Order: sequence, then C-alpha cells, then structure tokens
Amino acid sequence: MAESPLDVLLKGNSGRTTRGLLRFIILATIAAAAVSSRLFSVIRFESIIHEFDPWFNFRATKYLVQHGFESFWDWFDDRTWHPLGRVTGGTLYPGLMVTSGVIYHVLRFLTIPVDIRNICVLLAPGFSGLTALAMYFLTCEMTTSPSAGLLAAAFMGIVPGYISRSVAGSYDNEAIAIFLLVFTFFLWIKAVKNGSIMWGALAALFYGYMVSAWGGYVFITNLIPLHVFVLLCMGRYSSRIYISYTTWYALGTLASMQIPFVGFLPIRNSDHMSALGVFGLIQLVAFADFVRGFIPGKHFQRLLTTMIIVVFGVAFVGLVVLTVSGVIAPWSGRFYSLWDTGYAKIHIPIIASVSEHQPTAWPAFFFDLNFLIWLFPAGVYMCFRDLKDEHVFVIIYSVLASYFAGVMVRLMLTLTPIVCVAAALALSTILDTYVFATNGPNPRAKANEDTSSEGLRSARKPDVGITSYFSKTVMTSSVVVYLLLFVAHCTWVTSNAYSSPSVVLASRMPDGSQHIIDDYREAYYWLRQNTAHNAKIMSWWDYGYQIGGMADRPTLVDNNTWNNTHIATVGKAMSSREEVSYPILRQHDVDYVLVVFGGLLGYSGDDINKFLWMVRIAEGIWPDEVKERDFFTARGEYRVDDGATPTMRNSLMYKMSYHNFNSMFQPGQAVDRVRGSRLPAEGPQLSTLEEAFTSENWIIRIYKVKDLDNLGRDHNTAVAFDKGNKRKRATKRKGPRVLRTE
Amino acid sequence: MKLFNFLVSFLCIIPNAFCAAADSNKFERYRSLSRSAPIELTDSSYEDITSKPRDYHVAVLLTAADARYGCILCREFQPEWELIARSWNKGSKPDGLQMLFATLDFSDGKGTFQKLMLQTAPVLLVFPPTVGPFAKVDDTPLRFDFSGPISADQLYTWINRHLPEGPKPPLVRPINYMRLISAVTILMGAVTLFTVLSPYVLPIIRNRNLWAAFSLIAILLFTSGHMFNHIRKVPYVAGDGRGGISYFAGGFSNQFGMETQIVAAIYAVLSFATIALAMKVPRIADNKAQQVAVIIWGSVLLGMYSFLLNVFKTKNGGYPFFLPPF
Repeated sequence: MAESPLDVLLKGNSGRTTRGLLRFIILATIAAAAVSSRLFSVIRFESIIHEFDPWFNFRATKYLVQHGFESFWDWFDDRTWHPLGRVTGGTLYPGLMVTSGVIYHVLRFLTIPVDIRNICVLLAPGFSGLTALAMYFLTCEMTTSPSAGLLAAAFMGIVPGYISRSVAGSYDNEAIAIFLLVFTFFLWIKAVKNGSIMWGALAALFYGYMVSAWGGYVFITNLIPLHVFVLLCMGRYSSRIYISYTTWYALGTLASMQIPFVGFLPIRNSDHMSALGVFGLIQLVAFADFVRGFIPGKHFQRLLTTMIIVVFGVAFVGLVVLTVSGVIAPWSGRFYSLWDTGYAKIHIPIIASVSEHQPTAWPAFFFDLNFLIWLFPAGVYMCFRDLKDEHVFVIIYSVLASYFAGVMVRLMLTLTPIVCVAAALALSTILDTYVFATNGPNPRAKANEDTSSEGLRSARKPDVGITSYFSKTVMTSSVVVYLLLFVAHCTWVTSNAYSSPSVVLASRMPDGSQHIIDDYREAYYWLRQNTAHNAKIMSWWDYGYQIGGMADRPTLVDNNTWNNTHIATVGKAMSSREEVSYPILRQHDVDYVLVVFGGLLGYSGDDINKFLWMVRIAEGIWPDEVKERDFFTARGEYRVDDGATPTMRNSLMYKMSYHNFNSMFQPGQAVDRVRGSRLPAEGPQLSTLEEAFTSENWIIRIYKVKDLDNLGRDHNTAVAFDKGNKRKRATKRKGPRVLRTE
Repeated sequence: MKLFNFLVSFLCIIPNAFCAAADSNKFERYRSLSRSAPIELTDSSYEDITSKPRDYHVAVLLTAADARYGCILCREFQPEWELIARSWNKGSKPDGLQMLFATLDFSDGKGTFQKLMLQTAPVLLVFPPTVGPFAKVDDTPLRFDFSGPISADQLYTWINRHLPEGPKPPLVRPINYMRLISAVTILMGAVTLFTVLSPYVLPIIRNRNLWAAFSLIAILLFTSGHMFNHIRKVPYVAGDGRGGISYFAGGFSNQFGMETQIVAAIYAVLSFATIALAMKVPRIADNKAQQVAVIIWGSVLLGMYSFLLNVFKTKNGGYPFFLPPF
C-alpha cells in the first residue's frame, strides 16, 4: 500500500498532533458558532437585557460592582416588596453576579474598559462556548469513537433547547448553570471511572459552584445518588464508586452549605435526603464487602439479610419520626409538583400561574431538538451495548430528564445535554460505519465489541462492515442532508422564536420594514423622569423586576415570589371595587399603579389575560371577598364586553385597562383587539385614580392614586361634583361606601 | 293602649314560643332520620326542612347522582359529602350549634331544581338559622358553586368559615383497613413469590434487552407529550366538523391523545431505523442482502422524517423546511 501524503499526516506520531490540532480548531469553530448564533438579538435590536428575571440579576450585579462583595452579601433591599423589603443577599443564588463581577474586575485589571452591562449581555453566549467544550469532554468519556464528542459539542452549540435560555441579553442563572451542570457530570464520570479523590473533589467543587448559581442543582443532588444506587443494585459495587461518591458527597455538601440561601437545607430538606441515604447505604455496603473477606459464605449471607432488614427498618422509622417532628422539612412545593402533577394547581396557584411551569406538548420537543429527538432513543439503546458505569448514568439521566421535560416546559433545558450526548453516540456510530473508505469493518468502531451472551440481541453477530460503496454514499449523503437541515432549523428557530428581548417588541409594517414597539422602556423612562425617587409603584409581580431595574422605583411585589400573601394583596386590590381597593392602596403607600394593556395593539400578554391568576391567588387568601366565579358569566365565559359580569366591570383592573378607551374610536365602535370583542358604549368611570401616563401604543398605562379629598368628601362625590352633577343630599347617601381610611 | 300593647306582645310571643318548640322537634325528627349519613330529601321534605323559622343550620347538596344524568362530578363528590356529614355527626360539637346535612337528588326533587332555576349540579346551599342564638338577620342561603373536582377538606373549610366561631369536629377520613391489609398481603406475596421464583425471575430481571425496551418506551412516551395528555386531560381524538376525524389538533400547544401516539410511533420507527443502520446492517454477511437492507432502512428513514416534518408543518404554520416525498 503506497503511502499518500494524507497518510503521513494522519498516521503515527505526527498524525496524533495533527489530529489534536484539527480537534482544537474544530472545537474553536464550534464555540465561535455557538456564540455567534446567539447574537441575533444584539444585532437586530441593541445590547439590552431581556425579559424579567435578568433585570434583577443585572441590578444585583451593578450593586455588587458598585458596593463590593461584602456589602452585596449583606444586602437588604428596601426598594422592593414595600413595605417589607427583601434580604436580597441571603435569598439569591450569587454565582451569576459574582461571575460577571470577577470578569469585570479582571478586564479592568487588564485595562480593558468595558461596561458592566455588556458583560452581562454577553455572558450567556460566552458560557455557551464553554458548554460546548464541556459537552465534548463528557461525550468523549462515553465512547471510544473520536467523532462522537465533536458531534455532541456541535449539537450542544446550536440546539434551540439550550439557545432558548442563553441568547445574548438573557442574563439568567441558567446562562452559566448549564455549563456547570454538564461539567460537573463530566467530572463525576471521570471520578467514577478512575476512582480518584482528585476528580471527586473537583466534581464537588463545581457542584458547589452550581449550587451557588441555580436552584436546579437539586437535579444533580438527586441524579448522582440515583446513579450510585442503581450501580449498587446491579451488584457493581467497587472501591472506585465508594471513593468518588463519598468524596463528592462530603465536600459537595459542605460547599453547598456555604451559600446563605441554601444554608442547612442539605441536611434538613427531603429534596436532599436521597443523597444522604445513599451515603449511608454505601458505607454499609462497603462494610459488608469488607466483612465478606473474613467470614465464610453461609454465615455472611445470614448476616447480610439481617443487616439489610434492620437497617431499612431503623432508617424508615427514623425518617418518619424526623419528618413528623419537623426536623426534616417535607418536600418543597416546586419539587413536589413534579411528581404529583395536580398538586400545584390546587395548593400553589402562584407556581401553576407561571407559563414555563406548564406541561410540554410534543411540538415543543421537536421545535427545540429537531432530529436529535429521534436519534436520542437510538443513542440510549446503544448505551445498553457496553453498559459500563458511565452508560448507566446516561440511561438514568435520559429517562428521568424526559419525564421532567414532559411535566414542565422549562426543564427541557436539563434534557437537552443528554439528548445531545445520546444523539451524538448514535450518529457517530453511523458515521464510523459508513464513512470509512475501505471495505471491511472499521477498526476503530470495532474496538468495543461485546460478544457475551448477556449483550444486546442486535449486537450478537460479528461486525463485518459495509461492503458496497453505493450503500456508503447513500447513507453518508442522507446524514449530511439531515445535518444541514438541523443547522437550518436551529438558525431559523433561534432567529424567529428566541431572539426577541420581549422588552422591545418588533412588528412588520405593511411594506415589510421593521417597526419597533418600545412602549415598555418609554413608560419606565417616564417613571424615572417624572416621579419622585421614592414613589411606590404597584403592578402585577411580572413587572416588578423591570420597574426596579429600568425605572429605579420601589415596587410592592416582584418576580421573586417569596411572599404569597403580599402578592395576593396586590391581586385583591386589582380585582376588587374601587371602594375596597383604595384603602389597600393607601395602606401600602402606593403612589402609582401600572397596568399592561394590549387591547389597542392586539398584544396578548397583557394584564386582562393574566387577570384570572390575580383573582385565583387573591381568592386563596380571601375566599370570601374575591371569588373567581364572579368573574365568569352565568354561562361560564370570561368576557369584557357588554356581557361582562358586574364584578368584572367594577374591578380596578378592568377600569384601569379600559379607562377612556372609548375616546379612541367612533362612539360605540371600541374594539378590544386581543379578546376580539366590542366594548360597552359607555366606558368605566375611575374616581380614586387619575390617568398619569399612557404609552404610545397604550401597552403601559400608569395611574396616579389620588390623595384624600381636600374637603373631606369621598372621591365618588368629588368626581360627580367636578362633572357638574348636583350633589346628592348627605342624608340620602346609602350603602357602605366608606372611603376614608384615617 | 296598654291592652293593645299587651295583645301585640302576646301575639308575638306565642308563635315564637310555639315555633321554637316545633323547631327543636323538627331538628330531632330529622336528626333521628339518619344518625350519620346525610338525610335523603324529597321536594316536600326539602320545603319542610328549610322552612322558617328554624333554629339549626342546614346544608343541602343538590345533586344528580343517578347514572342517567351523566354528572360525573356529582358521583365523584358523593362519597366526600357523606364523609363530611359523618364526621360532623359523629364528632363533638360546640353547645347549641345544630347542623343538618341533607342531600336532594334531582330524581326526587325536580320541582325544587325548577324553582331555584338551577341549570347545573351539584350545588350546595347552607341555610343559617332564623331563630336561636346563632340566628342571622339575612336568612338567604349561602351558595357554593362547584367549579371542578373538590375534596371534602376544601368544602368543609368553606362550610366552617360560614358557621359561628368555635371549635368544630375535625374531618376524619376512615382508615381503609381493607386497603392496608391488602397492601401488606400483596407485599408479602411479592416477597415470597420473588424468593421462590428467583432462579427463574432473576435472569429476566437482569435481561438487558428487557431494560432497554422499558427505557426506550418510557423515553418515547415522555418525549411525545404523554404527560401533557395526562395533566391537561386532552380528548383522544376530535371530529373535524364534517363527520370525519381530525387526527392532529390545530395550534402549537395543543394535541390529542391519538396524535401523541402517532408521533411516538414515528419516533420509534425513526429510532429503530437508526439502530438497524448502525448496528444490524454492518453485521449482515451477505453483500446483496446488506445493500438491500441499507436501501430499505434508508428510505424508511427518509420517508418517516419527511412525514414528521410535514406533520410539524401543519402544527406550526410558518415552518419553512420540508423533505421530498411529503
């Protein structure tokens, strides 16, 4: 066989370096692709923070950079949750802010002047490049095929399921958490394979970082023990597992307890009990393994059986006693609602009300994963061929994460990494088989043959390879087509679905040009410019972080939904009559009320559509005063037109939304474009609030809460007097209209 | 004048005294009808039990439990209602607080349903007493509308909130001994069975193919949106309005039960084709057969994927991509 120049390059010692270089270049290209595909929003709009939660993270980062780490740790924020305030430093996951703070200071040290906002905007794309790298390492641990890791990295770089949470500007915990998740799993696999304390300690270190970054760390906390437990059940106990697990658990738990928000949860919360239980179990198994060396088999069997029964009994009773006595907290609501899917709807409406906690319909899976979704089961099947310890991990992760992703849309994010691993395993097997140019089996793909009778049914016969070039051409070209289609799909999805900042809305003019709807920033800037620095703004909790971040005004409730009662108070004020709401507004020092209204533009994410959740949450606390049933007509319809119920038409939310809306139209022609219904000829009358600001497209409407009347009248009378109506006799006044609160 | 006053007061006292006596009789009478379960009412007894004056609370559940009315909610709630009544009647009550629980079924009380203009069932009415220490000025009954399935605890808290202050008997769910015993028996049976059969069962449990099948089925089930069906309780299929069946629901976040099964089947075929191409085909020794297998599986892959893209396009109107056949 004559040596071609290519052979010289790819074989032997120089070949290894060449391949290494190639691999490095490919990975760098993948990282570049991952970063650049996330920049749509910056190019189309501007370098801006997106959505809701990122605004808080941004605000906290600014605080950290300004005041330093010490005072960030002790930060008490009196500009949210008025009048309660929030112990912000102790109730957040600081990993994200500290990361960008460190980057900021490093760049400063290198004399690169860069705005903290740009670091925040570009943090998520930057970390997605690292995630692709971590993915390469993780997948390389699963197989001997060198192409699988690169494929997995490429998939991870551009798959929409991950892009959805990591485009430029979505400065959220998930931005760095997915990298940490994948990297922790890589370190864990490494630790299990080598049985090394170093890898175990590194896994614990990154686990600690993960705990500081995202509440989803509980997934790791439960998945690793489950992996160990399954391995023990399969009779695969070894000192490697013992060393890696005990190292990880001891150091990881200590690390996680350093975060104030987590504190003593790892030893008191049921979410974390499986890790502790498995820790205990593995000690016993190790002890049994140790004893087996000294005692004859028959005695050992008896001893083992007795020990298992005694230990399980004691552990079970202990757990029950501790739970009943309250030392161990029961499952946290969010976690519990994953198992009992009806739980949240009945007991915690505030969790059920968030759109990303809804179950996932199948199109969402295909939308986020494209053809990976059907390569995924094939890859999992291939894991059963070798079934080494790390393959067991892939299988457990796959089944568990598919379940979670099916229950909650947002957990698609935890499913995506393992889908990329499994799909890369499947596709690389195909590529290794069909791309190999000469006849006969591919020597590299053949490396892990398992001919034992225990193996999979489909892998029993010997591998002879693909013999005809026609077959190879057909398969290779079709795989290339599928891959190209995948890239096109990902780009299309990213560009169309995931690159909108949602603070700025884009629409198309009739001539095809882009029109920017910038009502949110217009209104927030109005607040910043025209109201007192300490003016309290009441709005539904969705907009709390944005008001805090963009308008820099104190709010009553925000997206950190730690106090359900306070949120319900706002819900009650919004859904009650003015006579009931006004005292609530006065008691909470509210100066302005902000509502989002999409009726003019047809913007469906407005407050009237969210209104039922406000009612439900308020009803949870005041079931006698707010009733969801009253907002539905006798036929069970939710209406805003002539057929709306009196409760609906008298609610503060309805009045604020449709105040003066009639004046935009011909008399009797007012149409709500979201609900598609014609409004009553006469609009609602507001007496305790006055309109202060309405944005260009009426998306945001701000109302000022009137002060008490100078003449001591109630507001109804005052408004009637201003309109020129004759004042009714005081004696004729009836009804329980008590407006004065002092 | 004095005489007049006297007459008036006399006239007032007599019926009151008389009624109060009658009332306690009425309460005892109804109480004796049913010691623990809710009282079964008819049109006439409904009139009687709710007639003024009354010195007791009465909670009437207007329901339609009979199978021919097809009220699933009514039938589901019936045992919960009986649980509430039993807990109240057996528990210790605060002094003087008298309460009756009654049920009026539609088949016995059509007249009442018509009179109250009830369109839906079940409805709960709670009548406060008109005389006695807990009498209320406003004697209109409180009404509870069922908007969905509800547990006894929730309804019981609602009732308690509208009763006067004071301790109330707690809701006691009877321990289901039958279930406990059967659970223990089944568990012991399983352990015994396992010990006896372990030589035969263990190879099956340790069978890799079986576990692979389980895992794949679970993954396919979850990724095709089964949990959505389970949580949202979507219909299995729906008509398309022209007498046919529409297999695919319109809209991106809607789906039918059958639709998810079709999608799961598509995924399964695609995965199986991938597995066959990657693992089975390279193990076919005969050249011709291998070539044919590659062509067959390759075209299955292409056809199915194309069909999947086509289905997805119907769900998501603006989707621009497709593959040839479909």
